[in-house]
Amino acid sequence: MSASVTNQVAKESFGSKDSKLSLLGFFMALPPILVLGIFIGLPIGLAFFLSIGYTGGLNEVISIIGQDIRGREGKLFTLQAYKDVIADPRFAGDLKTTLIVSSVATVFVLIFSIGIGLLQRLRGGKLSSVLTALSLTPLFIPVVISSWALYTFYGSAGLYRTIFQSFGLDIPQITSTMLAVIIGSIWTSLPFAILMVTSGFQSIPNALIEAAQDAGASLITIIRTVMLPLALIPIIIVATFTSIGVLGSFTIPFFLGPNQPTMFGVEITNFFTAYNRPQQSVVMAFIVFAAASGIAISYIWANFRSAKESGRV
Amino acid sequence: MANDVQPLNLHTKSIGVKAILLAFSIFMLLLIVGPLIWLAVHAFAVEWIFPSYLPTGWTLEWFRKVFEVSALVSAIKNSLIISPIVVIVSAVICLPAAYASARYNYWGRRTFLIMMFASNAFPKIGLFATIATLYYFLNLMGTIVGVIIVQVLGTIIFMTWIPAAAFAAVPKSLEEAARDAGASKFRVFRTITLRMAMPGILVAMVMSFIYAFDEAQGTYLVGAPSIYTMPTAMYAIVETYPVQVTAVFSILLTIPSVLLIGLARKHIIGGQLAEGFQIK
Repeated sequence: MSASVTNQVAKESFGSKDSKLSLLGFFMALPPILVLGIFIGLPIGLAFFLSIGYTGGLNEVISIIGQDIRGREGKLFTLQAYKDVIADPRFAGDLKTTLIVSSVATVFVLIFSIGIGLLQRLRGGKLSSVLTALSLTPLFIPVVISSWALYTFYGSAGLYRTIFQSFGLDIPQITSTMLAVIIGSIWTSLPFAILMVTSGFQSIPNALIEAAQDAGASLITIIRTVMLPLALIPIIIVATFTSIGVLGSFTIPFFLGPNQPTMFGVEITNFFTAYNRPQQSVVMAFIVFAAASGIAISYIWANFRSAKESGRV
Repeated sequence: MANDVQPLNLHTKSIGVKAILLAFSIFMLLLIVGPLIWLAVHAFAVEWIFPSYLPTGWTLEWFRKVFEVSALVSAIKNSLIISPIVVIVSAVICLPAAYASARYNYWGRRTFLIMMFASNAFPKIGLFATIATLYYFLNLMGTIVGVIIVQVLGTIIFMTWIPAAAFAAVPKSLEEAARDAGASKFRVFRTITLRMAMPGILVAMVMSFIYAFDEAQGTYLVGAPSIYTMPTAMYAIVETYPVQVTAVFSILLTIPSVLLIGLARKHIIGGQLAEGFQIK
């Protein structure tokens, strides 16, 4: 069944727009939205008010338990907690590390997934199937395990150092550097990217590519003007989802990264649990949210478009 | 669907291209599988002294050692209790919604969908920090219930999105035919709709179980130091125990995923997974 036929079936079977509004349907669809509202929407609102100094109401308990809480003291709101975080000498380094790791990892994930996707779509054969299957492996491995495995592999007694040592060369370990965090982030992000991009390329009909070939277009031209534009939505989803995922990751930088400067994921967790400074922790969370907001909006838009195309809205 | 389109078979005769492809494959093999094998071998090593290529000897002793560490045993217990509960809670909350989105049109349909995407568009660790802030008020920090809720949040996507597609794929004509033949509404749902959508529901349950079993960041933030699951126990043991113990524990932690994926393999490769991950 080709993708367009599947889409047609889906369009007919998902609740169609002309059917009348169902109250039962509404109440059946409500529970997951309520759970998301109570445990994601509400906390984001509360934490935002905490970050600008509102320490009463539902924020009272955390304001008593946490240290260095900046209250608004008679004012409407205060940005003192934000000023504290930004003035911290660690902040600039953490921000730089987080942005560099996220963007470099995303670029490589895109290159690998588009490359493997094109290979599978255009060339086929055993090699590309093996490559695809290989790249899906990390999907089944818990992130904690992969981080630890990468740590032992690239660490001081890992394979690379062992190989170089047998030639008498003493190379430095890769772990505790940004490079290791980037490798780890690529490792964990690859399966989702491959799944998305390959299914995007698969939905392009052969006839379209062959028509371009008959018209004398070179392979590069076909990829650039036919295949990439037609798979744009899944590629945007991959790019946005990967960067959001890396921006918000903790385990990979915790195991593989340097102590200072580190990524915000580690810093947010440290401030919350180890230093008991929850207000600074949520301030950093909102700085990350702000940094990711543009990406997040593109992610939502691309997913909505994709849902619309497959008839789900 | 993913596997139905034939590739174009654009083969090149150029040896250069073939060599590059082969080199790339070996590079990917080393990049992806290398670390896993390297760690797994440690589980059977008596001792492994750098820079030797192989351990000094082989043993199964470490598998016994793991079960002597009470913290690890309780983490295993916690994981085996919490993950199934998460799957059941998530199914109860989400499956009716999945059915509704496949069969009914209702007020707020679009908004609900956008809210679901949006909940997924926040960098995770920031989200967990804000949730923990609320948890202090609700007295859920360091409780099993708190951990279950954090894990359920991550499974909602799988549990609504994959089964919705499965329900939508059941032909309405089939249900109508059964109704015409005199079957009750409930009977039609149970014997036709539910049965045909079952593979999709099972894939969603498998994915949710694996997510819950593997979830570490949120569980650590709201659970530690009172509740440790298998993945969060790893944070603690890597610094205090020999690498062999952590290797054995890693193997134990990977078993459920591999087993379940093996069982659901047919449906997962068939495109259900790609469908589910679209929104991950």
